[in-house]
Amino acid sequence: MTTKRKGVNEVTMKLNRRRFMKYAAASSAVASAGSLFPGISFGDWKNISNNSGVVSWQKAPCRFCGTGCGVLIGVSNNRAIAVKGDPNCSVNKGLCCMKGYHSVQALYGKDRLTKAQVRKNGAMVEVPIQEALDLVASKLKETRDKHGKDSVAMYGSGQWTIPDGYVASKLFKGCLGTNNVEANARLCMASAVTGFMTSFGLDEPMGCYEDMDHANVFVTWGNNMAEMHPVLFSRMLANRKRRTNVKIIDFATRLTRTSQAADKSIIFKPQTDLAVANAICYEIIKNGWVNWDFVNQHVSFHKGKTNIGYGTEDHFAFTDKAESINLEEFKLFLEDYTPEKVEKISGVPAKDIKYLAYIYGDPTLKVTSFWCMGMNQHTRGTWINNLVYNIHLLVGKISTPGNSPFSLTGQPSACGTVREVGTLTHKLPHGVVMNEKHRQMAAEIWDVPVSNIDPKPTYHTVEMFRALDRGDIKFMWIQVTNPMVTMPNLNRYRDGALKDDRFVVVSDVYPTPTTDVADVILPAAMWVEQEGMFGNSERRTQHFGQIVDPPGEAMSDTWQIIEVARRLGFEKQFSWSQEDYIEKIWEEYRRFHAGPKHEMASYEILNERSGVQWPFVDGKETRWRFNPKYDPACTNGKDFDFYGKKDNRAWIWARPYEPAAESPDSEYNFWLNTGRVIEHWHTGSMTRRVPVLHNAVPSAYVELHPEDAAELGVVNGEKVKIISRRGEVVMPAQINGRGVPSRGMVFVPFFDESYLINEVTLDAFCPISKQPDYKKCAVRLEKA
Amino acid sequence: MMEHTERAIRRTVTIATCCFFGFLWLIGAAASSVSAELGDFDYQGDTLYRSYETTPEMYMAADSGDRNLANFYSLRQYPGSPPRIPHAVDLTFSGNETDCLSCHAKGGYAQEFGKFIPVTPHPEKTLCYQCHVQVQTDELFVETDWKSIPPPRLGRSFLASSPPPIPHPLQMRENCISCHTGPGAVVEIRVEHSARGNCRQCHVPTVQTEPLLEFVRKQ
Amino acid sequence: MPIFSYLAIPRNDAKETLCADLATTPHCEVIPADNQDVIVLVTDTPDEATEEVLQQTLKNLQSLQSLSLAFGYDDNEKKGS
Repeated sequence: MTTKRKGVNEVTMKLNRRRFMKYAAASSAVASAGSLFPGISFGDWKNISNNSGVVSWQKAPCRFCGTGCGVLIGVSNNRAIAVKGDPNCSVNKGLCCMKGYHSVQALYGKDRLTKAQVRKNGAMVEVPIQEALDLVASKLKETRDKHGKDSVAMYGSGQWTIPDGYVASKLFKGCLGTNNVEANARLCMASAVTGFMTSFGLDEPMGCYEDMDHANVFVTWGNNMAEMHPVLFSRMLANRKRRTNVKIIDFATRLTRTSQAADKSIIFKPQTDLAVANAICYEIIKNGWVNWDFVNQHVSFHKGKTNIGYGTEDHFAFTDKAESINLEEFKLFLEDYTPEKVEKISGVPAKDIKYLAYIYGDPTLKVTSFWCMGMNQHTRGTWINNLVYNIHLLVGKISTPGNSPFSLTGQPSACGTVREVGTLTHKLPHGVVMNEKHRQMAAEIWDVPVSNIDPKPTYHTVEMFRALDRGDIKFMWIQVTNPMVTMPNLNRYRDGALKDDRFVVVSDVYPTPTTDVADVILPAAMWVEQEGMFGNSERRTQHFGQIVDPPGEAMSDTWQIIEVARRLGFEKQFSWSQEDYIEKIWEEYRRFHAGPKHEMASYEILNERSGVQWPFVDGKETRWRFNPKYDPACTNGKDFDFYGKKDNRAWIWARPYEPAAESPDSEYNFWLNTGRVIEHWHTGSMTRRVPVLHNAVPSAYVELHPEDAAELGVVNGEKVKIISRRGEVVMPAQINGRGVPSRGMVFVPFFDESYLINEVTLDAFCPISKQPDYKKCAVRLEKA
Repeated sequence: MMEHTERAIRRTVTIATCCFFGFLWLIGAAASSVSAELGDFDYQGDTLYRSYETTPEMYMAADSGDRNLANFYSLRQYPGSPPRIPHAVDLTFSGNETDCLSCHAKGGYAQEFGKFIPVTPHPEKTLCYQCHVQVQTDELFVETDWKSIPPPRLGRSFLASSPPPIPHPLQMRENCISCHTGPGAVVEIRVEHSARGNCRQCHVPTVQTEPLLEFVRKQ
Repeated sequence: MPIFSYLAIPRNDAKETLCADLATTPHCEVIPADNQDVIVLVTDTPDEATEEVLQQTLKNLQSLQSLSLAFGYDDNEKKGS
């Protein structure tokens, strides 16, 4: 094995050496020319890539996480060759993280998809892309005609640009009349959305990143910000250093780099965040820390159903019922959540709970709570989102600089595309399919008969893949995502996609396990190879132009959809020309959001600036919503106006603790938790092709607590088998690495397609948001 | 990088000296009109002169000057080896940890050596003599053929604009600030942006003694 | 695998022609100067035989006045070992 490695290195050395020699040769000649002919210049070095020729820098948002850093892409000879942070972008002010700094390298992996492929007789054959698009359109039409309009589906992504999502929604919902449009943000942010909708009636955070420059305490609720939103985390660290009286408290189920950096690290047992949040509310009320002025004017109390299930069965349906309650009932409800009682189930000492309550309750401390997947990928995700809002609402710490319950977004455009354009089964760009007025608005802007738009939502993501398995869906078009690595309980959904009489179209940039199951592969333009916009966590939309050309026949996802739409007979609705279609799409889409609650900037302004926050009213960004000092949409004349709800109040919900869908028991005695590492994005299809990132973390592993490892008889690097009721994976152990899980828990990063950890996870979800819980299921371990 | 810093230091010192002399001139020449504005606070100017006399020039230049990579590696047998102790120490194996840590835990300026003190990245390991060897003689017992590999090259960024990766393994060297910041740092690797805090947000470990891996998709 | 680089001087007013000629000659990379009638030529041939053929081709170019060698490198390792 050592020899083989040596051989590979030798060959690489030789090839590199030749390139270097040629460069040296050219340099020598140029040098001699310089001495013979003073002042000579060779500007036109077409073939030598190392020249320090002129580089043009163009702005774009980073391709990766929901922070939405602004970057400047350096282009030389139609290749992206460097990245700088964009100093004009208020998000990151010129700083990036390792993924951002090396992002452009992800465009140039050797196995980039440049040709369309079609499955013929079991094997994939290259065909001209126009032929592949013909096939996609004809198969779509054929399936619809034979099996009904709801037999075709579109599965998109929070990494879709806004125009990508818009044309997908317009085609499927407006023209084809099916609500079978979903996106992977269902697996990432759905609970955050339903949290917002149930607590405030409006989606997306009311604060902005500037809150970090004002807050005194940062609490991270189950999210590893140091690795997942690194640029925001370093802004927190900088604030802690520069200002006095700033603390970071990490509230998590395992120790991570965030815990290492925090002032205090509090570990809780999985799922008991529900109980702890309620206990904090209990303490706040008991100690008289409630901001009664705020609560009496701006809050109303409610409860919903309990014992709401976990969604593991097909056709699982749930509708919540809201009931108003009064303060006394709410206090009574909280009696079950005294810190002493909660300590018993959560493992969090009562004094730590009281400490947290004190932090929130002290009126002189501004508190910003951050959360992401720990709270969203949760079988009671909507509830835990409500509960953290409850805390902030009881003490009135909301919608003012520094006081901010901030739901961080994972993907670069889950907000911009999936939530704002509404690429979910029940949504429209403005409003929901169930609402007649919203359907009429969509029909008018889309220029389709209103009867086209189906008033009944169909399937959420998990149910959509179940439908594909059952055969209720027979055609699925997947863009910019990798469900054959990310669907929980993966075995079932992969088998489903592979069944006969299922036609799967995949648009992607690299071969992945999802392209492996495709019947048609469409090569897609990646990121700055197409024009588009992303929308980040703090409601900031960022535009990017087409900075380099896509390779081979790779085509922008937006244009792929337009091509298919035209072939299906919808030339009228998709009549734009390739020169300015993005501008036209933006201006059409913008109409849906007119008004002070959601107004978006014009294409021209987006082009000029490094990101514009919405609402963008009269040339000004609304940085804090619901606060009339900053938000022109407030109309009630009071100091806060929660205009999302009919009673103009924010809603506090009494949500109980309910256990996880599958907790460890005597047979499967460990929790399995999954997540990411800073080096890799999601399923690694892009970042593993970036040499420096792959080199830093080349393959996945399972984190074990050292004592659990000792009991299992496993040392660092030894193989461990992780078994659940659904599947098993064998992987190497990592002990005392960057993350240390608690005893009785293991953690696996999901970026490595050779270790499909989702074959082991469970497809239970929050019944309200339908978002699966990737952080909790039961497994047992064996030394392998 | 060293030259640049040296030049910068020289420039700073020159400017400082010029300012100082300019200040002297100002005091001397315009005593009458200026003193009215400076008011009561002009009579303690002698504290500056006293301090100037007693503070070593080295300290004012805020650079030990001679702690460069060549020095650094001259104390080590191979990249990554614990450095031998370049100054005299108590010969007995006293195991008295506070002695070493009294200077090396936080760094600072050592008057007796006229140098800035390197900070240890691993203060939790207190039995210093276990790994760090004292030097009693420069004579070899027998000639040796010992050779090692060259130390890692600096600044090997993957893209023209990206932050350089961390070329050394992290074992016992996870505290970047201890070695890369401050006057005791090796000049070529000293940075002034440690205030950003989370070094590994931008700097990826790419150990130069390890082969560079390439992703190949298994079929 | 011989790699050579030259300064190629074209005949009077024949710079464009020379560029075109060299661009179509195999194993040649051309870097013309912006402000002088000088071209940098980098050749990279797989073996001695091809190198000799290339030399002949270059000698026979009408547009070329002179060729001065700036750099030479010959990697003599056999392939496949």
